Amino acid sequence: MAEDLVLDIKDLVVHYETEDADVCAVNGIDIQISKKRTLGLVGETGAGKTTTALSILNLIPNPPGVIKNGSIHLDGKDILKMSQEDLQKVRGNDVAMIFQDPMTALNPVMTVGEQIGESIMLHQNISKQEAFEKAKEMLKMVGIAESRAYDYPHQFSGGMKQRVVIAIALACSPQLLIADEPTTALDVTIQAQVLELMKQLIQEKEMAMLLITHDLGVVAEVCEDVAVMYAGRIVEKGTADDVFNHMRHPYTEGLFDSLPNLKQRGEQLVPIRGLMPDPSDLPPGCSFAPRCPYATEACTKSIPPLKSVEGSKTHFVACTAYENPDFSLRRNENGK
Amino acid sequence: MANKTILEVQNLTKFFTTPAGQLHAVDGVSFKIEEGKTLGIVGESGCGKSTTGRTILKLLEPTGGKIIFDGKDITSYSRKQMRPLRQEMQMVFQDPFSSLDPRQTVMQLISEPIIEHKLLKSKKDIEDRTLELMETVGLAERYINVYPHELDGGRRQRIGIARALAVNPKLIVCDEPVSALDVSIQAQILNLLKELQEKMGLTYIFITHDLSVVKYFSDDIAVMYLGQMVEKAPSDVLFANPVHPYTKALLSAIPLPIVGKEKPKRQLIKGEITSPVNLPDECRFMKRCDFADECCKKCNPKLHEIEPGHFVACTRVAEGTI
Repeated sequence: MAEDLVLDIKDLVVHYETEDADVCAVNGIDIQISKKRTLGLVGETGAGKTTTALSILNLIPNPPGVIKNGSIHLDGKDILKMSQEDLQKVRGNDVAMIFQDPMTALNPVMTVGEQIGESIMLHQNISKQEAFEKAKEMLKMVGIAESRAYDYPHQFSGGMKQRVVIAIALACSPQLLIADEPTTALDVTIQAQVLELMKQLIQEKEMAMLLITHDLGVVAEVCEDVAVMYAGRIVEKGTADDVFNHMRHPYTEGLFDSLPNLKQRGEQLVPIRGLMPDPSDLPPGCSFAPRCPYATEACTKSIPPLKSVEGSKTHFVACTAYENPDFSLRRNENGK
Repeated sequence: MANKTILEVQNLTKFFTTPAGQLHAVDGVSFKIEEGKTLGIVGESGCGKSTTGRTILKLLEPTGGKIIFDGKDITSYSRKQMRPLRQEMQMVFQDPFSSLDPRQTVMQLISEPIIEHKLLKSKKDIEDRTLELMETVGLAERYINVYPHELDGGRRQRIGIARALAVNPKLIVCDEPVSALDVSIQAQILNLLKELQEKMGLTYIFITHDLSVVKYFSDDIAVMYLGQMVEKAPSDVLFANPVHPYTKALLSAIPLPIVGKEKPKRQLIKGEITSPVNLPDECRFMKRCDFADECCKKCNPKLHEIEPGHFVACTRVAEGTI
């Protein structure tokens, strides 16, 4: 198991230091992903999901971004200690990234074949001709006819462009694929196709994937493991079954309650009251406490650490309420 | 009152002329909405749902068909004739980041429609009304002098809703009002819209690609594909018993937040939406449909009623072969 560990992030802290304030985007998170597994990183806008992803490639814009603490090991090597030159070799080769918006991720004045070939040529010592041939193979793999390698991005639809982006990302057979909201800009039927493709390729190529999304439906579809992020901290993590069927954190419960249920219609939704705190001015103690329906005095005193749920090896939650052994979420009580 | 039809659309078409030919954005759409109800229009990008919404409000000039609002045929109304009617039909836009003037304060933004339609004269009255509207949509009074960039997406969308409500409309077309928002904020806005409907008897046309949102919200749902309605039914019926192959595929494509138990098998549809330019007279969904056969090539199927209130446009369903 440990040998298969592809990504190992320990106690990562990232701040954006501006003149006005110190923005605490990521505040000490641990993430591990093994080969052939997909971790879903879930949270709302501003939770620090994308900052986490960018730090894995050491791509945080600096200044103002500063990685204050922690270590990021990729296949045993510490990314944060690498020179720029070594990093260039890792980016796109060992770790590839897929962004949310395929419309802006592609170069409009290059054919897609050249774009896929370009990333292969950067990392492998092959001729332009060979790279183009490989690019065609990649296109076929993502379900696009080889003849379209000569076309430009504007000749493709949104779903097709995202397939091209996936082809570029996978061209060098990376060990880790980071997908930042890869299907958010796509229609549901196309989203279903792209997710299916990604799932299949992860298994085929024996990669690990970090999937960043706000859509719990997508997580349920693709991920084996889930980490829920709030205000720069992971508040709950576990296998998909742990988090979806035995959730422990009030924020996770809030996220699920906010979803319109396909089964029942017309019931009042239960939104989480208030807003995400300003990351430059986090409340003391648990950052979810001001919005939490279960919050008590104790919650504002100290930051709760991630603790194993009832001795589970996979399921962890960071919530002070569980100091009281009788505490349980409303949702879990109703479910019983 | 209960059954008063507020809006009736008959055979509405909107074509755009492009260098490649006629683009059929909306092609023969008909429906009725009763006062106080919500019609959800669902479909993928490019199916003509937003164009339908805009054409109904005459923000776009219809190519053909009839729009009857509150008993008046407004199809050929001029801009000038439309002006007083604008008070009764309003729109909430998708993107609260680009639909608000960045140089206006919340006060200016919300009072603009009141001043524009000359609803109130004195400065004091306008300010009172603005504050009242802010309270209605749940914006705290302290935001009155801030600019949109200082607010988050949820609050901005509340401004958009307050602007629409400012003129006491009867009908509001909501074009993807929550798709730019986070789920927890989405729920707040959906609850607000629902509350307002109950309180003020508003009628909504709710345009979205998100089927779970539309189910939560709508009395009736119309599914559109390439400019045409392929299925229309009361919300519960449509979700319990979808008949058109496209509706079935669309419902099955929604990723459900369920792990393990009781998860239905997904059926993927192949291909992507085809071009809406110069369409031949055949079923428009045919090329992506698993059930397509020879008879689908013969004509473009019309909506027909398979049970009371449930309409489907599919040749094979009409023939009873699926």
